[in-house]
Amino acid sequence: MLRKKRFIYADNAATTFPKPHEVLAEMLDLYETKGVSPGRGSYDLSVEAEDLVDRVRRQICGFFGGGDPSRVIFCYNATDALNLLIQGLIEPGCHVISSRLEHNSVLRPLHHFYQQGIIKLDLVPFDTQGFIDPDDVARAINPKTKFIILTHGSNVLGTIQPVQEIGAVCRAKSVPLILDVTQTAGMVPIDMAKWGISAIAFTGHKSLYGPTGIGGFVLSRDLDVRTTRFGGTGLDSKSLVHSQRYPQRLEAGTINMLGVIGLSAGIRYLEKKGLHSTYAHEMSLIHRLRDGLSSLQAVQLYCARSLENHLPILLCNIKEMNPEQVSTILDGDFDIATRAGLHCAPLVHQDLGTSPEGGVRFSLGAFNTAEEIDTILEAMAEICRFREGTNPRA
Amino acid sequence: MAEGEVSALGTRKRFIAGKEILFDKEGFFLDARDWSEEAATVLSREMGIDVLSEKQWRLIRFLRDYYANNGKAPLSSEIKAGLGWTLMELESLFPGGIRLGARLLAGLPNPQSCTQ
Repeated sequence: MLRKKRFIYADNAATTFPKPHEVLAEMLDLYETKGVSPGRGSYDLSVEAEDLVDRVRRQICGFFGGGDPSRVIFCYNATDALNLLIQGLIEPGCHVISSRLEHNSVLRPLHHFYQQGIIKLDLVPFDTQGFIDPDDVARAINPKTKFIILTHGSNVLGTIQPVQEIGAVCRAKSVPLILDVTQTAGMVPIDMAKWGISAIAFTGHKSLYGPTGIGGFVLSRDLDVRTTRFGGTGLDSKSLVHSQRYPQRLEAGTINMLGVIGLSAGIRYLEKKGLHSTYAHEMSLIHRLRDGLSSLQAVQLYCARSLENHLPILLCNIKEMNPEQVSTILDGDFDIATRAGLHCAPLVHQDLGTSPEGGVRFSLGAFNTAEEIDTILEAMAEICRFREGTNPRA
Repeated sequence: MAEGEVSALGTRKRFIAGKEILFDKEGFFLDARDWSEEAATVLSREMGIDVLSEKQWRLIRFLRDYYANNGKAPLSSEIKAGLGWTLMELESLFPGGIRLGARLLAGLPNPQSCTQ
C-alpha cells in the first residue's frame, strides 16, 4: 500500500484549487475597503467601486479580444451566462446549431426550447479524435439559423475545437458564433475579434483562478441580446422599463463585487505567471500522465492520438471497474481527487460508449507537479493489480 | 400505487418480508426506517450476492449506525477509519461499491451523483 503523501488535486476542470493566496488576499483587502454597491450611490466610495468594476470590464474585454467593455456582462458563472445568451437570442421558429460535445449548460437550455417546439435544433457530431468538423457546421446552416453555440474545449475529452475555421464559416454565412470558453479561458489565448466570434461565455473559478460565483459573457458589437431579467440597474429609476444600455441591459440587481475583484486578481495572477508557460507546464504533465496510463493494460484511455490542440484533461477507465469506485479508491486510499461519472456532458459519453457509468477524469492545474503525476500512476497501477487479484498485500 | 408500479417521479412500491416499502428509481430506500435485515437480504440476492458475508454485514451495520447517530452517511475516510479496511477492499465488497451497493443495502438515502 502506498504511503499517504499530500493531497493531490486532479479535478481542476471542475474548479481550480487551491486559489492563489494573492487572489484571496486582494479580494479581502479590496472588499474591506471598497465593497459597497457600485454605481448606485453618489458618494465617493460608490463612485470608486463603479470605477473599479469598469476597470475590470476593460481588463476582461482586452483579455478576450472583445471590442467594447460595456458589452462585458457579469453573471454568476458560465451556465448563467449561457442561459442569458440563449434565452435572449432565441425567437420562435428559429434554428440553432450546437454539438454533441456540449456540457448540459448548453444542452439543457436548448433542449428546453426544442422540446417545447419553439426552436429547431441540430447537434453536429465529433470525430473519433474528439473534434468537430467545420464542414459539418457549414452543412447544418440554413436560412433560419439564428446562431451557432459551441464549446471551445471539451470538459470530457479535453479537445480544443477548430473555432477559427468554424468562425470563418460563420462569418461567410453571416451567422453569429457563440463560444462556451469555460474550460479554455485562462488556458489558451482567445481573440474574439480575430476569430470572428460574436460572444463568449466564461466562468471565473476555473483556469482564471478567481472564486466561484462570478462569470459572464462578452458580446461583440454585431450581436444584441434581449433583456430577460429585469430589475434595478442604478440608472433611470423613475422608469418602469429596464434600461437598454449595455451593460445594464443584461445586468439586473447588485453584481457580485467580491467575485469581480477576485476575477480581476485571478487574471492578473495568471498574466504575471504567464499564460503560455502555465499551459505548457500543465500539458507536459498531461503527456506524462497519458504515457504512463497507456502502459497499464487494464486502463482504457479515451483521448486523441495527439495531444495537440488539447487541454490538460484526460478521461479513462479501468476495465471492468465502475469509474465511481476507481475515483473513490483514488481518494480514500491515495488522497487523489478526481471526477467520475458523466461530467454533465451526457452525449459525449453516449457517443464514446461510456454511458451510463462514464469515466474517471483527471484534470490538471498550475499547482500540479511531475511527482504528483508519478504518484497518480503508481496508484492507478496498484488499483489495476488489485483488480487483477495480484495485489501483493493480499 | 400498486406493488411494482412506478410513479411519475420514479418511486416504486414493493412488498418485502411482509412490509410495504417505497424505493426511488435507483432502488434506494426512500425512508431508512423501512430497512430490515430481511429486506437487505432480499435486495442483496437481487444484486447477485447469494449470502451476505460477515464482512459485508459489518459494513452495512457501520453505515446504519453512523447514519442513525449523525443523520448523514459517513465519508469514505470515516468508513476506512471505522472499519480499518482499505477503500480497495471496501469497494470490492459489493457490486456498485460503497455508494451504489453497500449504501443501498443499508437503507441509506441515494447518494446522487453525476452518473444518475
